[in-house]
Amino acid sequence: MNSKAVIAWIVKIAFWVVIIAFFWWTISNNMYAQILENPEQFAGLLGRHLQIVLISSSLALLTAVPAGILLTRPKFKKYEWIFVNTANLGQTIPSIAILALAMGFLGIGIQAAILALYVYSLLPILQNTIAGLKSVDPAAKDAAAGMGMTPTQILFKIELPMAASSMIAGIRTAIVLNIGTTALAYLIGGGGLGVWIFTGIQLFDNTYLISGAVPVTILAITVDQLFRVMQLFLVPKGIRKAQKAAAAT
Amino acid sequence: MIEFTNVSKTYPGGVKAIDDISLSIGHGEFVVLLGPSGCGKTTLLRMVNQLEELTEGEIAVEGSSIHDLNKIDMRRNIGYVIQSNGLFPNMTIEDNVMVVPAMLGWSKEKKKERFEYLMNLIGMPPETYRKNFPHELSGGQQQRIGVARALAADPPVMLMDEPFGALDPIIRARIQEEFLDIQRTLKKTILFVSHDIDEAIKLADRIVLLKDGKLQQFDRPEELLNRPANEFVSEFVGEDSVLKSLSLYQVQDMKAKLTLPEASDGLDGTVFKHGDSLRYVLSHLLHPTPKPVYFERQEGGLAGPISVAHIEAFVREMTA
Amino acid sequence: MGDFLSYLGRNYADIFSYTIEHIQLLGVSLTLAILIGVPLGIYLTTNEQLAATVLQAASIILTIPSIALFGVMIPILSLVGQGIGFLPAVIALILYSQLPIIRNTYTAINNVDPNIRDAANGLGMTTMQRLLKVEIPNGMPLIMAGIRTATVLSIGIGAIAAFIGSGGLGVLIDMGISRGNQNMIIAGALAISILAIAADFGLKKIQMKFSPKEIQ
Ligand SMILES: Nc1ncnc2c1ncn2[C@@H]1O[C@H](COP(=O)(O)OP(=O)(O)OP(=O)(O)O)[C@@H](O)[C@H]1O
Ligand SMILES: [Mg+2]
Repeated sequence: MNSKAVIAWIVKIAFWVVIIAFFWWTISNNMYAQILENPEQFAGLLGRHLQIVLISSSLALLTAVPAGILLTRPKFKKYEWIFVNTANLGQTIPSIAILALAMGFLGIGIQAAILALYVYSLLPILQNTIAGLKSVDPAAKDAAAGMGMTPTQILFKIELPMAASSMIAGIRTAIVLNIGTTALAYLIGGGGLGVWIFTGIQLFDNTYLISGAVPVTILAITVDQLFRVMQLFLVPKGIRKAQKAAAAT
Repeated sequence: MIEFTNVSKTYPGGVKAIDDISLSIGHGEFVVLLGPSGCGKTTLLRMVNQLEELTEGEIAVEGSSIHDLNKIDMRRNIGYVIQSNGLFPNMTIEDNVMVVPAMLGWSKEKKKERFEYLMNLIGMPPETYRKNFPHELSGGQQQRIGVARALAADPPVMLMDEPFGALDPIIRARIQEEFLDIQRTLKKTILFVSHDIDEAIKLADRIVLLKDGKLQQFDRPEELLNRPANEFVSEFVGEDSVLKSLSLYQVQDMKAKLTLPEASDGLDGTVFKHGDSLRYVLSHLLHPTPKPVYFERQEGGLAGPISVAHIEAFVREMTA
Repeated sequence: MGDFLSYLGRNYADIFSYTIEHIQLLGVSLTLAILIGVPLGIYLTTNEQLAATVLQAASIILTIPSIALFGVMIPILSLVGQGIGFLPAVIALILYSQLPIIRNTYTAINNVDPNIRDAANGLGMTTMQRLLKVEIPNGMPLIMAGIRTATVLSIGIGAIAAFIGSGGLGVLIDMGISRGNQNMIIAGALAISILAIAADFGLKKIQMKFSPKEIQ
């Protein structure tokens, strides 16, 4: 083993040591007390958290993917730039600002949280759907049309499979951000695991902080990894192999 | 088979890409659309399978106007090959080649059999490549798969837009040969776009030469070379058109046109067969240390020795 | 609307000083993030195995929700008496900035046209000269793009850091929510958005300055 590999290994091990030390320290100091002592409340907060994430991101998915498909059809192409620019601009606006503004419209409550998270998740999905569909090789579409595929067949057999990788990346970003931002929903009365985090901050109570923050973190990282695995199933093998080959050169 | 009647095409921007073209292409004919970049070759080709709309005129395939045919159905009955091959990266080679048969609802066995037949036809072992993806093949192999895909449902008509354009000269020459062989067995009606005069001469039964969307000449290659219809054509075919045309004629053509001397016995020379090209013969004659050249005779014996003067006489005869 | 404008009229000085606080937080954390991330990204181009590990770790850090990271850091930093305030905010912003900065630097240096690199070697440059005269200048647009992403990200997270006492524009939202003052919330949200959009725009301009002429 050369010295470079040794350094890489040391860093890898150090990374894991820090994580294990963190869990050892929090557990031995009983910082998960809230979860252990109030499991129903934990379940309630987690359930609410998931509810907000699921509703807002499925609505975003159901809007953004069809919208992205529509905006890349010849008929609507001329409006595409408006949406792409709005999506770009919208994504520079910080999540907390969007939550605060949604509260301005709908007042305190879960609706405002869902609206804000819906808008916030919409943008990356729309952007990546459009980018993915636009990156499809025009020669492939032309060949498909020339061979007698209907526009619907071209969409489902050629365009969507070829755009899948970019689309899933957008959905992944949107949902992972959504999970984290939902932790702020407490601020506008939306509930969720953020309740414990903010209580912990206000009371300076480690048990609330860790019982709220660690599950949210685990949730975000797990979902992120799930999507990574999902990409293996949903992106056609030929595209994945081609991307890998292109990245290697 | 394919009839163009006063066809014109003006693009939305106002570019008149095709200007009043009428052509009649016969069954099993290999026609090359030739001309400089931007002259309208691709446009003319794509109007046949309705990827471009006609502005004026009429195109008929096998007697029926393309407007009366269902767009989707007719496209499935016309093979289409493009320069950048347009293979689908998300599909295996087998799925790529079998796209049209799958849409036509062929049975699994029939598709498998057809795939194997086509792969053997293009000289790529089916089992080796079945599960590969397009990016795993070389450019030449991808191009051949593009041809196989267009042939899949055995369409009577093939449209090919510079299918071998992206290949290096050696590979290109080989694929051209292979494709000519395939065509000799399959006898498709082929419209083939090229901007390379040598490719056109090599492949075409007849050549359509275009300039700025207008037809310049529609003729057999040797006619184009030897009797150019106008200034543009003679410029396009080049100063070496005589040399080029020699590659279109064979030993037997010269024997038919000229009376050649009878060869005496005791020869030490090179003997050419009926099918050998005259260009090849000339190249031998011009060799710095030439050996005498003889032609094989139908009835036995040899004709010759042949000299450069014979070639000159033949060329004069042909261009007269 | 009129209400909001009169609120702005009365409080613009406060809003301005929160903006300055916000920019200070960004200035400190981004400077440190660049000083760590750029050299690290360059070093990683010499050690592929380490690069894979570091980039993976940085991308996992980026998936940690910011408020959760603060929640986790408070107990840890409390051990040294710094649980809330400026320090945890700076540390969090540095951590989040690492992925875009390291990844872009790493890619930028790795992607320098091998022909250019060959030419530099052929001219007899040392590794250091090649890095400073060829690789970094050529990779600059991509490195700047990473810094830009990190900046926009940090502006948003910096606003959330106000909840753990770092100051800045997030304070307006925090106070607005606890006092039920709509105008304050909207002023905070707008100011943060404008700051983010302006930073994005300004850095994009700078990024273009570094781009080779033919790309512009
Ligand atoms: N979609 C289009 N819209 C407007 N003009 C077009 C379009 N497609 C082609 N043209 C124009 O029509 C003319 C003919 O184009 P075409 O693609 O048929 O040429 P070509 O002979 O195939 O050229 P090349 O050898 O470069 O492929 C050109 O002037 C071109 O600019
Ligand atoms: Mg063309």
